[in-house]
Amino acid sequence: MNKTVNINLANVLFHIDEDAYTKMRRYLESVKRSFANTPGSDEILADIEARIAELFHEKLADERQVITQKEVDEVISIMGQPEDYMVDEDIFEDEPRPRTEPRKSKKLYRDIETKYIGGVCSGLEHYLGFDALWIRIIFILLGVFTGFGFIAYILLWILVPEAATTSQKLDMKGEAVNIDNIQRKVKEGFDDVADKVKNADYSKVKSTGKSFFDTIGDIIMFFFKVFGKFIGILLIIIGAATIIGMFVGLLTVGTLDWFHLPGLDGAINSITGAPIWLISLLVFFAVGIPFFFLLYLGLKILVSNLKSIGNIAKFSLLGLWLISIITLIVLGVREAASHAFTGSVSSETPLYLENESDTLNFELASSEFYDSEEHIRMNDMILIYDDEGKPTLQSEDVRFNIKKTNDTVVLISVRKEANGPSFQEARQTAERINYGYTQRGNTVYFDNYLTTQDQSKFNDQEVRVNLYLPEGQHIAYNPSNRRNWTIRAQTDKAISSLEDYLWKMRNDGVLECQNCPDEFEEDAEDGDNRIRINGEGIDININDEDGESFKMKINEDGVRIKAKDNDDEKVDINIDSQENVIKIEAQDGDTTMRKTISKN
Amino acid sequence: MRTTISKIKTEGSQTTSRQVGPKKKKEIMNVENTKAQMRKGVLEYCILSILNGHDKYASEILSTLKDARMLVVEGTIYPLLTRLKNAGLLNYRWEESTSGPPRKYYTLTETGKLFLKELDTTWDELRSATNLVTNKK
Repeated sequence: MNKTVNINLANVLFHIDEDAYTKMRRYLESVKRSFANTPGSDEILADIEARIAELFHEKLADERQVITQKEVDEVISIMGQPEDYMVDEDIFEDEPRPRTEPRKSKKLYRDIETKYIGGVCSGLEHYLGFDALWIRIIFILLGVFTGFGFIAYILLWILVPEAATTSQKLDMKGEAVNIDNIQRKVKEGFDDVADKVKNADYSKVKSTGKSFFDTIGDIIMFFFKVFGKFIGILLIIIGAATIIGMFVGLLTVGTLDWFHLPGLDGAINSITGAPIWLISLLVFFAVGIPFFFLLYLGLKILVSNLKSIGNIAKFSLLGLWLISIITLIVLGVREAASHAFTGSVSSETPLYLENESDTLNFELASSEFYDSEEHIRMNDMILIYDDEGKPTLQSEDVRFNIKKTNDTVVLISVRKEANGPSFQEARQTAERINYGYTQRGNTVYFDNYLTTQDQSKFNDQEVRVNLYLPEGQHIAYNPSNRRNWTIRAQTDKAISSLEDYLWKMRNDGVLECQNCPDEFEEDAEDGDNRIRINGEGIDININDEDGESFKMKINEDGVRIKAKDNDDEKVDINIDSQENVIKIEAQDGDTTMRKTISKN
Repeated sequence: MRTTISKIKTEGSQTTSRQVGPKKKKEIMNVENTKAQMRKGVLEYCILSILNGHDKYASEILSTLKDARMLVVEGTIYPLLTRLKNAGLLNYRWEESTSGPPRKYYTLTETGKLFLKELDTTWDELRSATNLVTNKK
């Protein structure tokens, strides 16, 4: 008993014994291989199959008969061994091959005969002409130190086909791709182009116009080829460098979260609410995959017989890329939405002084943590651990305003603000802000920082403190240290800080300096040339002996520029951020030009 | 023009050097090989001759060649037919067969006919030349 197989030879159905089928298949395969490099091999093979079908048809008496080994052997003896099919190139060459036809160049295959792992290095040995030992050492060094060696090896293992057939093995061991050969090839290419230019010049232009353009086309093609190789190399370098960089970045940033560095995990998590390793992985895919395709394209340009990575791989990479992009967009939108609303909570408390005529001392106390370097800073926020070990966010986003009230008592208004995905949540976040001040005698100590236990997100938490003074109230500001706090107040003197002086609230809401020295008079001519740039702003004062001067002050109050040529010619520009006014004044002799831009 | 001359010169000098000291290229000279090569050499001519005047399909061409003992195995002819067809000397059409698969009938094209005519004269010349040379000995 024998199993039979149905085969279709030239659209005719045959029943064939299984072992006869195996033999037939092997025969056809070996015949096919002997044609591998002949043009029109498919057609030849179809003709041969048709003839074999005919022969079987003749041999079989009726359609039910099964083809056995015997028939197959007979047909093979009629058709001849695979060697008989091979066309003797020397005899049947239609025309002598042109001298300039490029020699068959080497192709990159994996050498599976002398392999250690995948035959990549031994294949590169044939391709580059170096000893495989050196290539292996380079791969191992790259692998150990950068990790790229492993990736490159696996990539080449997947992409480079193995040399399975004899012709592939010959291609693999063909002419080495070394500098000499490349140089020779380029030279051959040049000679070729040069020949064509010459020919075109003398004869071909006259006979046919087309060949002239053909020649131009050849020249362009030649340069395109050279150019293409350069682009290929460039693409590989760009792609590989980016992927290595991204990979190293992924390993360092992405694993931070896994190690749980003290003080860091919470802070990083707070940025988006998604774990940092996920974000970095997504970014890695979103950026890395296009660069991987760039690398692949470069390899494809350089190595002609590169295997395709396959549609499944391509589409799954594409899918992964799309998923990463979409996820990043969603996270980004969510992140943006979580700041969409601003909510605030205000409270107003009167401050009673022992005696209404007493001077109110105003002090700022800074956090003991803020100056220390051991905490993580992000957006002016730091993460600290309080005495109970609870993580707490601390921010310096606290601003002070000194204003006038019609009341007879000092009022302190504290307004806490925060952003959130909805008004309600923003308000709740704002409510969770801790901010305080203390009063001791006639001195108020304001915290210059806010804290919150809300460590999930940075939600632009901020505090605005308004200090309302009744008319005639004296106030003095004594900072506990030299940091510049943001205190806004209208003063009658052009100085940037309230400190060291005694101020009195005037009827119009302006603080009047009680003990300022005269040199603060606006036109104080101290004759002292200086250019000062510091945390308060820029202060330039230049005077010369002829009475010409230039003064410029840029600080939080605005910009003030004064230039004086002599007593008759003056220019004064004042951009006042406190009164929201821009004043320009120019004087030339008796004529004075004034321009004021303001809300009113 | 100058380059052409110098090329011819170098080629000539190469020929002389080859004559002075022939490079020994080891090749196994086999009678069977030579016979096969001789047959293969005229095979194209034979195929074109067979098709001259009548369209035939592969098996008919084969049987003629086999009868004349030009061919030992059939396989050789298929690459040859394809090559002649690709060179524009032959054309083919499909015809249904009463028994077995459809047949590919080959026809000589105009170029093929001109080609054959030239081969005819060459063959005549070659035959008389061969006769002349071999008979003298």
